[in-house]
Amino acid sequence: MLNPDTEQPLTRRHRLLQSGIMSSNNLSPDAGKPLSQQTTRIMLVDDQPARAALLEQALSDIGCTVVACLETAQGLMKRVEEHQPDVIFIDIDSPDRDMLEHMTVLNQHNPKPVIMFSDEDDTLTIEKAMRAGVSAYVVDGLQASRIKSIMDVAVARFREFQALRSELEKTRNQLADRRILDEAKALLMKQKNLTEEEAYHAIRKLAMDRSQRMVDVARNIISVMNLLND
Amino acid sequence: MNTPQTSASALEKSNLTLGYMPLTDALPLLAAQHQGCFQQAGLNVTLQQEVSWANIRDKLIVGHVDAAQMLAPMLLTTHLGVGSLKKPMYAPIALARNGNALTISNALAEELQLTDIASRDASQIARQLLTVIQQRRRQQNARLVFAVVFPFSVHNLLLRDWLAGADIHPDNDIDLVVLPPSQMVDHLRLQHIDGFFAGAPWNSVAIQQGVGQCLLPATRLWDKAPDKVLGVRRDWANTHPNTLIALTRAIQQGGRWCHEHPQQAASLLADILEQPLQTILPALSGEFIYKQGDAAVAIKDMLMLQPEVAAAAEHAHGEWFLSQMLRWGWIDPDTNIPAVARECFAGDRFRDNHITHQSGS
Repeated sequence: MLNPDTEQPLTRRHRLLQSGIMSSNNLSPDAGKPLSQQTTRIMLVDDQPARAALLEQALSDIGCTVVACLETAQGLMKRVEEHQPDVIFIDIDSPDRDMLEHMTVLNQHNPKPVIMFSDEDDTLTIEKAMRAGVSAYVVDGLQASRIKSIMDVAVARFREFQALRSELEKTRNQLADRRILDEAKALLMKQKNLTEEEAYHAIRKLAMDRSQRMVDVARNIISVMNLLND
Repeated sequence: MNTPQTSASALEKSNLTLGYMPLTDALPLLAAQHQGCFQQAGLNVTLQQEVSWANIRDKLIVGHVDAAQMLAPMLLTTHLGVGSLKKPMYAPIALARNGNALTISNALAEELQLTDIASRDASQIARQLLTVIQQRRRQQNARLVFAVVFPFSVHNLLLRDWLAGADIHPDNDIDLVVLPPSQMVDHLRLQHIDGFFAGAPWNSVAIQQGVGQCLLPATRLWDKAPDKVLGVRRDWANTHPNTLIALTRAIQQGGRWCHEHPQQAASLLADILEQPLQTILPALSGEFIYKQGDAAVAIKDMLMLQPEVAAAAEHAHGEWFLSQMLRWGWIDPDTNIPAVARECFAGDRFRDNHITHQSGS
């Protein structure tokens, strides 16, 4: 239950994915090459096997590898960890989209770009969706000719966004918060004679009871303890 | 009295598409269509059933639908750009209060060793759940898996708050997953999950099929809790003020009709959901069965669709959702919570007093 890396609540998925970061297959041999020369690893979620086969063919024609093909998003997390895809493709009309959102939205550690496809021939919607930058991009009619460019744009934008986000978060929080939390834990351990785990739990409990972030509770503990010790 | 001509003449747009999910609290929309309330207001409405909340949100953002049934917390995160493109959003009215419940597998019910569940209070049940979690950990058994309908939902926030109150960390001590409401029963049957927190009718479907039993109606956690709202883009609301009034009024008429005709509302929904009538009725009649074979228990205000109670999209509700999402670190700590709640939720500005008075007379 102890999570030393961050105060943010982590799900098992996050941890699975974090451990995925450590595994060697995440470091694709193509990692340094420009996007267009890499073999993109794709995970496909589609409940229509015939259509999935068509899409799989189209994707391999343009040099991508479909590493897994799932009929539903059930077990998606494990499969993502196993296969480390670069991109996930899902039918825009799949009820599993919410499950996928849960993973991509609340996962701060190893999110994946998600590309939605649709075999509806609705050019207007697709154009609008792309212009608006909605969740991902739509491949209309599964035309192989367009998949590659759409995917490249989606992946590039995703990476840009992730880089920006992680840079922002890193500079903003991580180090400072971690230091504050450690300091508060150390104070509690010393003055209340607690183990590290007990100190962590005490802070966590306070944070939950007061609806505060752990780092804010830690900050309070430090100021109160310092006051008492003066 | 309004004639279609006079109201239609002021409308900025009369052909509207509304998105909804197959759930009992979509009934105000479905009934407004069925009872001709939209038509009377001069609106030609197409109701479009969607399969995921993400789809509803995306279609609203790109303008593929004009308005939609939305999870209230999801409307707020869309407004803030959490997990999606940032798009200013607006909830003129809410659609329902209450209606949700936590249903668990029969196996977990046995493990909990709770008799007479219906009379236990929520904190007592949570403490017993903590005991099971600790037992499982000691015996190195699998962690409990609970499903909710969407990360940014009242279901998730209520469940997490309840668990945290018993010192159960919702991310570290159990697994929370997201499933579409209509798939909850199957996943419970296949033992992929140990329980789910969802709206009507899916609890009753699971219970009546003998797949699980109710542990906790959400009224025990927060009576008259808000849940779904009608969501529109802020710019759409600004450019369609008259349409918005006509639309929200018709939907409230739909909600009122459902409240006054629970049997007819249930059969309307049964047809659309393709579920037996007896699974739809409990939420509307309040005659709820906790577990197969048990006698029905009356749950007061199991689901409230009457607009005088349900229709106000209250600022205080927005503030609660936002503060809970802040608590879990999902939104920026610098978010001005009262301001965002006021921007997004209309309060009772669109609640139709005319309807309220009429019903009181």
